Amino acid sequence: TETMAKEWNVSLWGKRRAFTEHVEKLAELVSEKTNGEFTLNISYGGLSKNRENLDGISIGAFEMAQFCAGYHADKNPSITVLELPFLGVNSLEMEREISMAVYNHPAVQGDLARWNAKLLMPSPLPQYNVAGVGDAPKTVADFDGLTVRATGGIGRAMEAAGAVPTSMSATEVRQSMDSGVVKAVAFAPHAHMSFGTVENATWWTTNLNPGTVNCPVVVNADAYADLTDAERAALDSSVSEALDHYISSYDTKTMSKWGPLLAEKGISEVTFTDAEIETLKAKVAAPAAAAWIEKNTAAGLPAQELYDLVVDMVAAKK
Amino acid sequence: MAGSALVLSDDSRLSRMDHALLRLETLFALLSGLAVFALMLLAVFSVAGRNFLNAPLPGYVDWIEQAMPLIAFMGIAYTQRNGGHIRMDMLVGALRGRALYIVELITTLAILALMILLVWGTWAHFQRSFDFDAPLWSRDSSMDIAIPLWPAKLLAPVAFFVLCLRLVLQIYAYGRAVVTGQDNPVAVPLPIDAATQAALEAETVSSRDE
Amino acid sequence: MEPIDIGLIVSAGMLVMVVLGMRVAFAAGMAGMVGLIWIFWAKKGYDPADFSWALGVAVKTAGQVPHSKVSSQALSLIPTFILIGYLAYYAGLTQALFTAAKRWIAWVPGGLAVATVFATAGFAAVSGASVATSAVFARIAIPEMLKIGYDKRFAAGVVAAGGTLASLIPPSAILVIYAIIVEQDVGKLLLAGFLPGIFSAIVYAGLIIVMAKVYKNFGPPVGGFTWKERFAALPAAAPILIVVMTIVLFVYNPFGGDAWGTPTEGGAIGAFVVFLMALYRGMRWGEFRSAILETAKLAVMIFTIIWGVLIYVRFLGFADLPGAFSDWLTSLTLSPMLILICILLAYAVLGMFMDAIGMMLLTLPVVYPAVMALNGGEAVAAADSAFGMSGPMCAIWFGILVVKMAEFCLITPPIGLNCFVVAGVRDDLSVQDVFKGVTPFFIADAVTIALLVAFPTIVLWLPSQV
Ligand code: NA
Ligand code: NA
Repeated sequence: TETMAKEWNVSLWGKRRAFTEHVEKLAELVSEKTNGEFTLNISYGGLSKNRENLDGISIGAFEMAQFCAGYHADKNPSITVLELPFLGVNSLEMEREISMAVYNHPAVQGDLARWNAKLLMPSPLPQYNVAGVGDAPKTVADFDGLTVRATGGIGRAMEAAGAVPTSMSATEVRQSMDSGVVKAVAFAPHAHMSFGTVENATWWTTNLNPGTVNCPVVVNADAYADLTDAERAALDSSVSEALDHYISSYDTKTMSKWGPLLAEKGISEVTFTDAEIETLKAKVAAPAAAAWIEKNTAAGLPAQELYDLVVDMVAAKK
Repeated sequence: MAGSALVLSDDSRLSRMDHALLRLETLFALLSGLAVFALMLLAVFSVAGRNFLNAPLPGYVDWIEQAMPLIAFMGIAYTQRNGGHIRMDMLVGALRGRALYIVELITTLAILALMILLVWGTWAHFQRSFDFDAPLWSRDSSMDIAIPLWPAKLLAPVAFFVLCLRLVLQIYAYGRAVVTGQDNPVAVPLPIDAATQAALEAETVSSRDE
Repeated sequence: MEPIDIGLIVSAGMLVMVVLGMRVAFAAGMAGMVGLIWIFWAKKGYDPADFSWALGVAVKTAGQVPHSKVSSQALSLIPTFILIGYLAYYAGLTQALFTAAKRWIAWVPGGLAVATVFATAGFAAVSGASVATSAVFARIAIPEMLKIGYDKRFAAGVVAAGGTLASLIPPSAILVIYAIIVEQDVGKLLLAGFLPGIFSAIVYAGLIIVMAKVYKNFGPPVGGFTWKERFAALPAAAPILIVVMTIVLFVYNPFGGDAWGTPTEGGAIGAFVVFLMALYRGMRWGEFRSAILETAKLAVMIFTIIWGVLIYVRFLGFADLPGAFSDWLTSLTLSPMLILICILLAYAVLGMFMDAIGMMLLTLPVVYPAVMALNGGEAVAAADSAFGMSGPMCAIWFGILVVKMAEFCLITPPIGLNCFVVAGVRDDLSVQDVFKGVTPFFIADAVTIALLVAFPTIVLWLPSQV
């Protein structure tokens, strides 16, 4: 019987949350459009560790997966351009459009092709901000000596502000804050809520916006090529609607909880002046970008071109 | 942990090979133990650095993750040599002589089959993180301070390969025991009878009575 | 054939291999490998031309597991806590503790066995690993019990059961691992284990005293120690308090200032303090070498089981067995308490065939959310909940129950790690002997678990104080 229904395995992690709503929606739409002939079977952590989802795609163990570029910069150097500090992206919609433009660049597609992966869509996240205990910093200078959990480009930004970035897995963050190992934590709002930092924090920075992480959803290129025309059309045509759904649900469900939660917990909001942000940005952004361009040009990527693509799009949207 | 499990020796070539391999295995196991000790020192440095020097050890978690494969894999053949990997001995405990060695032969062959596949699989895992053309040969690095992951990933196929050698040797020893019907083959962990046991026991106890 | 059927057949095959005497870690890994090959080949309709593809994908998928799963900060606690155990042994701490326990409490019926239980409980305050605790006490306590005429199987059983206390009384590697899997507050969980640990020790001691009263020729009480001798035994055992204090300082905040680190670091610092003591007591290279070799052996044995079981778990993930279980559980129409009891019974059965960590890794991702949902959700208030406790308290309570079940599994046949370890240290004892000797303690554990279910206060009182 050659008319077997097609089922793709999808490797996500954690549990169903704002961060996975586009994949859930995609599964729903694809099944609808093919009358159940093509389905996405989503697994939360059962198929792979999140840092190895790209390995699983390359092996062919599953057909679709989500991961974050910063988990393994060496595996996907091209898309880490989107994780550079202080790019100035200020909405999920903007993050989505710029990510898609980067994903469509031939050099980026070639980078991911090493893993037999084809970029499907981003999982846009808002800018990270810092929540902490103790005296709230009033100026950027107050970050001096502050122990903060921050990784990657955001860690470099915190370092430039004089803070001491410390690394640990997200799951140890809460305990480290309780025990004073770190005084502050940089996360996106949904992570501040799900990893419990809001339970201790007394202050939160509203506009530090040092950057974010980029977490694409990819498909196995062979599996994609094996789709029938109808199946491929069903998948491709659903991406945009899935992302619309993701962004509206992140904005309404997560961000609408965030504000009241801050009030309820009595967490004070720290807002820096534009001049201060500009000073910090000047200290961090240009050197980080220059280092990134140098390193990745050496690795054979058109790094300057990719960086310009991002920066020009941000400028055009302002 | 079957620490005193009995593995007989004689002057056969098989026994000499057993001892040659054991030297390598013991070295690997010691490395594993030293890695545990290093892990402890690392924590001491990290805590001291953070609390007294206001300078946390950069990439503390990354270093732990690098040390763990050393601890987890390096002693695997040593443990197999001494019969230290746990099992149900309900059936094998009741068997003697040829019947026993036939069962041991079958299960050891099964382990060898698995481990050959895993040498392949873990090697592929290593290979995906390794790239001759990349800086530090790295195509996958740790999250915080970007240590290349390929050395740690390479430990698995290396340790598993040594285990395969050990298994081949044990299979040969069991096979020979099945063919010759001998009761106490060399180079494999044996079920010990009570008398031998008592002798070993006296030894362990006296060595602890300072 | 449905993936679920493949899952069940492969699981049955694993049991056959285990019974045949194949080393457990490899039997689990083999089952996982065969299962993965089967699943991938089935996906291609068993086309012979696609077999090599299925083999390659399965092998590479399984090949990710060992490195991927062991390179984890959470699991780094296991070797550290084992090292504490062996260093304490070579520092003479364990012996000192046992001597003190003997002089103070061995006058009761079944005296030496009761003293062993309390010495293991005391040692549990520095040791975070059950198997290591059983391993060191097998060397110290069993010979003394044998000298005065205890049945050797029972003596082994006491040590195997006593070792399980190490995972309830803080510090505890397995409680930290639970906290990390379910993302709950580690500090509160560790605190919550304290009273149930003491409680378990008292139940064990009670059981031994009753047995000593009922059976003739049980171990005699050991009397005749003067008060002077009793107090003289204390200074040697006192350093253990220093280690306990060190670890407590790390994990909690008794003086209102910042604590110094995380539980992971606390364990390592504890090991370092014991290491210094052992050096002070005259440990030399030979003893140090033995300590780290023993640590390496036990660690590699445990890690081999961990990755072996996790290859099998990865296969179960592809077979979607956890999903099927979750659907089934949430479709039940029984009362929440009845479902909880069924879950605990299922743990008892599953735990017969698995080790504690493997079992938790396998089940918690599915069972924990289901239990939290039964109680009314993560954020439920005590008044609106099914079990009469808030969401976070339910997470702690269930954690202690699961860890107690997991510890129970360490002494139940056919796969009971503590019994294997005791039999391994004492070659005059077969694994069957130890399993026979430990049987009475099943009753004690059943009583303890029933009481912890009926009176959650035993678990929740201490963590609710902070
Ligand atoms: Na403990
Ligand atoms: Na068991």
